[in-house]
Amino acid sequence: MVKLTQYEQEMLNGDFGRFKQKAIDNIIKYAEALGAEELCEVSKATIYLGAHPYLEAADSDDYNKIFSKMYMCTYEVIEVEKFSEGCFCQTCVAPCSQHEFEPLGLTEEFFDKNNEFLNITKEAGVSITGTCTPYLTGWIPLMGEHFVTTESSNVLFSNAVFGACGNSDGIEAAAWSGICGRTPKWGNHIMENRKGTHVFEINCQSDTAVDWDVIGYTVGRLLPPHAIPVISGNFKRPDLIRLKQCFAALATTSGGEMCHVVGITPEAVTLEMALGGNEPKEVFDISQQEYDKSMEMLCDKGNGDVDFIVLGCPHYTLEELRDTANYIKGKKVKDGVFLNIWTDYSTKAMAEENGYLKDIEDAGGHLLTSGCPLVIGYKCHETATGMVMDGAKQAHYIRSETTVPVYYGDMEKCIDSAVSGKWEA
Amino acid sequence: MENNKIVLKGRSGIKGIAEGEALVCKESIQGWAGVDDKTGVIIEKGHSEEGKSIDGKILILPCSKGSNGWSCHFNSAQVNGIKPAGWIFTKLDSRAGVAAVVLDIPTVSDFDEEIDLFDIIETGDLIKVDGDTGNVEITKKKAMAKA
Repeated sequence: MVKLTQYEQEMLNGDFGRFKQKAIDNIIKYAEALGAEELCEVSKATIYLGAHPYLEAADSDDYNKIFSKMYMCTYEVIEVEKFSEGCFCQTCVAPCSQHEFEPLGLTEEFFDKNNEFLNITKEAGVSITGTCTPYLTGWIPLMGEHFVTTESSNVLFSNAVFGACGNSDGIEAAAWSGICGRTPKWGNHIMENRKGTHVFEINCQSDTAVDWDVIGYTVGRLLPPHAIPVISGNFKRPDLIRLKQCFAALATTSGGEMCHVVGITPEAVTLEMALGGNEPKEVFDISQQEYDKSMEMLCDKGNGDVDFIVLGCPHYTLEELRDTANYIKGKKVKDGVFLNIWTDYSTKAMAEENGYLKDIEDAGGHLLTSGCPLVIGYKCHETATGMVMDGAKQAHYIRSETTVPVYYGDMEKCIDSAVSGKWEA
Repeated sequence: MENNKIVLKGRSGIKGIAEGEALVCKESIQGWAGVDDKTGVIIEKGHSEEGKSIDGKILILPCSKGSNGWSCHFNSAQVNGIKPAGWIFTKLDSRAGVAAVVLDIPTVSDFDEEIDLFDIIETGDLIKVDGDTGNVEITKKKAMAKA
């Protein structure tokens, strides 16, 4: 039995409308399924909204019907009303940019539908940001603050780096929480549950963003179910960009939700602190051999012609866009090659202000916002004959949507291949 | 107890009683590109039960796996008329908890640590999941064949 406050009981009684009533009803069922005894207040949410392809199962263009069936999980048609006043909600990635569709091979009809859906939820209180890196847009839950998010890498980032509290609930539950402002007090929302259980000793190269991408991928490959990894050992100090890559890759090969990095993340000042004074259940050696094994899984062997180059998974920071602009300046992307670089709107605006956008566009690259090829789906890459990317998450999942070669490497190598039209190992 | 029947006790997650054939997925099922939304067939490359449908089955899973979108793919399949009859998890996690609510099917989880569901249950065994009591009754396919 879940203990409710008076406010929560009133919401469940329907005092604040059917929309919020159904949302908290679902959250209470979720709490019961987990065995949670009470709910906690959520003050930050990112929600997976827009005309995502999986919503086609609802077989309707009426957004209230779609939202009811696919998010609220009911055949009753409930009108979309205001989301929670106490929880700041913004959108996660969308299946189309707000500003352009042609470079992505999408139709104007789909572009309009996506904007129509996003505008409905914007009116209901969900700001449009279209990003998988909400912390780059100012969405930062602080230590002990409860959040929900539909981006798996952001679950890890916000738990680990900010010390905020969140679980990998899922698309529907994030919406319920954004609407009612509550989530079950369970899992990472309880401090005792966040201690590290398994230690990963880093004994491989750990200098670059790609190194940390591969480290995250490798730790995830070896991580047992329900375990909380502690990254320890002889590594070079990672920054925000390196951890962004590490956590995106870790959440690709595992269900990891919390990760300690000794000396870097706030609940892991020391190894002992990260483990909460307990002995680790197992210690793994992340050797150069394990690193190389991951690299072989991510990057196809040999050389090949390429025409679809993706940078920015997760979305690029201003610093990464600066470095990209500096490297690409004066070069020219080969005719027939689509270089697509992904970021959020605010970072793109700053890139424009600084001239980075011009350098990228003058070279023939596209700086896009809101999504990525994975979120958009196969339509944006169905004519590709060879792909190159600098994000392990993208390189991993894209393989389930394509049969063409997929190569993986750092930004400079990716741009070299965009210029030559060839991947050279 | 009949010799081909085993009863396990777990924690009740979603109420209701379901019976069906076990589909044992020791490695769980990935959310993204795990189950075809339209047919319910497991499409995850290299999965031990690749090519089999989840429809009407009792899924035996250790936990969820992969993306935060785990529940939404089961939801899409459900809207297309396909879902498991019930499921049991070694230990429930947040993604699986959401999916259980979304599908609203009998759910039992959190078995004692010494119980290895994957030692006891094989695909094709007949399973009765009682989400009211947390009991899971297993009728072994092989033992039944002998009887």
